[in-house]
Amino acid sequence: MGLIGVLPRMTARRPPVLLVTLPGATRERLAVEAELRHRGWPSAAGPAAAAGLVVAGEQGDVQPPWLADVWKGVPRPKAYVSVRQADDAPRALDVLGRLLATGRQGDAPWPPSTGSPGGTRGRERQDREDGGHGPYRHPEAGGHQARHDQGDHMDHPGRQDHGERPGRQDHGGHRGGVVAGLPMAGRADDRDGLRLDRLHLPLGPVLPDWPAGLVLEVALQGDVVQSVTEHPPAAGVPGRCPFWSEPWLRAAAGEAVTRGTAERRRCASHLDSVGRLLAVAGWPRPAAEARRLRDRLLHGAATDELAPGVLRLTRRVAGSRTLRWLTVALGELPAGRAGELGVTGPALAADGDVHARLCVWLAEIERSLHGMDDTRAVTGGDGPRGRLDPDRPPSRVLLDALLPLLPGAEFACARLILASFDPDLDELVGTGHA
Amino acid sequence: MPEAAPLWAALVLPVALCLAAVAAAAFDAVLGGDARRGGPGVLAAATAPVREGLRLLAQQRRTTPSADVALGRIGLGLVPVAAVLAAAVVPWGGVSVADPVVGIVWFNAMEVLAWAAVWLAGWGPNSALSLIGGYRFLAQGLAYELPHMLALTIAGLGAESLRVSEVVGAQQGLWFVVWMPAAFAVYLLSAPAMSFWGPFGHPLGRDVAGGAAAEYSGVDRLLLLGGRWLLLVATAAFSVPLFLGGGQGPLLPGWAWTLLKTAAVLAALIVVRRMLPVLRMERYMEFAWMVLVPLALLQALFVAIVVLNR
Repeated sequence: MGLIGVLPRMTARRPPVLLVTLPGATRERLAVEAELRHRGWPSAAGPAAAAGLVVAGEQGDVQPPWLADVWKGVPRPKAYVSVRQADDAPRALDVLGRLLATGRQGDAPWPPSTGSPGGTRGRERQDREDGGHGPYRHPEAGGHQARHDQGDHMDHPGRQDHGERPGRQDHGGHRGGVVAGLPMAGRADDRDGLRLDRLHLPLGPVLPDWPAGLVLEVALQGDVVQSVTEHPPAAGVPGRCPFWSEPWLRAAAGEAVTRGTAERRRCASHLDSVGRLLAVAGWPRPAAEARRLRDRLLHGAATDELAPGVLRLTRRVAGSRTLRWLTVALGELPAGRAGELGVTGPALAADGDVHARLCVWLAEIERSLHGMDDTRAVTGGDGPRGRLDPDRPPSRVLLDALLPLLPGAEFACARLILASFDPDLDELVGTGHA
Repeated sequence: MPEAAPLWAALVLPVALCLAAVAAAAFDAVLGGDARRGGPGVLAAATAPVREGLRLLAQQRRTTPSADVALGRIGLGLVPVAAVLAAAVVPWGGVSVADPVVGIVWFNAMEVLAWAAVWLAGWGPNSALSLIGGYRFLAQGLAYELPHMLALTIAGLGAESLRVSEVVGAQQGLWFVVWMPAAFAVYLLSAPAMSFWGPFGHPLGRDVAGGAAAEYSGVDRLLLLGGRWLLLVATAAFSVPLFLGGGQGPLLPGWAWTLLKTAAVLAALIVVRRMLPVLRMERYMEFAWMVLVPLALLQALFVAIVVLNR
């Protein structure tokens, strides 16, 4: 005992947590994030950095196959909990802490491999082999590992349509083409006309500060994005209203919703987007501040109590010359082009690059702050991301507008561009438009 | 002239470096804690780095399919090794573990070892995101290393020697920082850049899920993240003999002055870090080569003229 017994309890006090959000679970994500911040538990950037895996949202009948990979990628000692309802968040994290302290894992999101004849030891070895098999594995690795326990993973986003990938057709150019059972990366011309390795990589659904439920198949050369294909989003929970546009949708359905309520939601939504963009830009402190203000807003804090903090944040972010220098001229979307594509809301108003879109959010945050006490009924259907058209939700339009901006951008720039649009996949997967 | 250090100094150095790194990380954690009101207290924040280190020691190491394990581990191991070897030429008061004729060149060579280290660590796991982290550090190296080498050269030029003890000796009466402010500023920028930390943390960026560190857990992760703090401490400490007069100062003994000055430089770096987002190297490269390099060259010209007229 002694030190060995004390260690798990001591290290379980503030375990790094990897939060995975299932489609349509924004409310649960926000609850878990608020609870994590309250406890001071760090958020892990990936499975390798995590001790606890928290899955926010309803999983439905079909287990997302990638979830098992993520779980396998978390090094032991590890624990798993699921947060199905926003109210469950504090209790679930209590359970997580207890599991880690006692060295138990919790009900894994996937039944442990049943096909392994070697019992526990065999399974352990297999866990090791699968250790890196999360969404961060070698992009060409998927689908080629004929392991008996993975036959049912074929619908993993990264493993679809094998035959159509250009990288795979290039294999003839390599001696052998397969190293240690994995195919080599293919080659293609890059933007300077050089023939370089081209890697295929599924981005999402588990990446830090990434829109929940989004999966993009990208081809990379070095760290330059060559092409992007979107995977159709997984179905969300039926009958759920997208959290951020809820007040407007409810008003459209005939409910009485005040403008103040809607503006509060808009303000929180933009703070969420700003927090995400700043986190992607690698500025953790104001990102955390934006998220803290967002949570206080959603918990109903009074306007005059919040206003100084919000204004301090918006002024500071808008006034940062370094941030401006790092985000100008990225992902330009002129208003004319945006209008043609049907974009509405902040991305249309911004008429420009990543920094312009950020500034529109900041301006709207300040404006919404002053409209939060308005008790008149909501009119019009302009949610935080644009006009709420039931046939073509604004986030669909945003995705269609932003994907063509990604090829040619470096990985970091591509992530900034995506974060500056911040499409909300809940609008696409939520079947319930109230 | 400095005395030759006793043999045990070589054993004490890594321990002292680790203690300094833990202290720096604790200071960083305490500063980070205040953004989270109602979060852990100061004591809990200050002990967080130690607890995290222990947690990583007890954690399973993971491997990825088709990883080049040996390559990755060589890279990870090189990070703290490069830091300790670089720190070997830092004089503590009058004593340093080693004082070769080419001390400044040695220090610079150890930094370049860190390039290889992160690149190998990013390459090893056979994973695209960690590979991107490795690429990013190479780009970072190209951006920061040229102005950084000029800054090192300027200090050597001012002292007319590459031996670190002679650089300290040449600052009797007037520290180099006074008449080489541009070189000092450039050097300070390269301290976080070389340790891929803070505004230069892009190789381990959160947007690539941890970059070069994305696939490492357990001891592997500890070597990489801990080695990063060691590198930061070593670079900050080397700015003291280069520009801040080494152990010179009134009343206190030399080693205490070295310690105080190192702590001040480290604290400044840690505080300033919070004001800046992570710099992307394709933007920083422009600034480094168009502004910092000419600036450093002008500084070198000025120093050369002063030295020639001495």
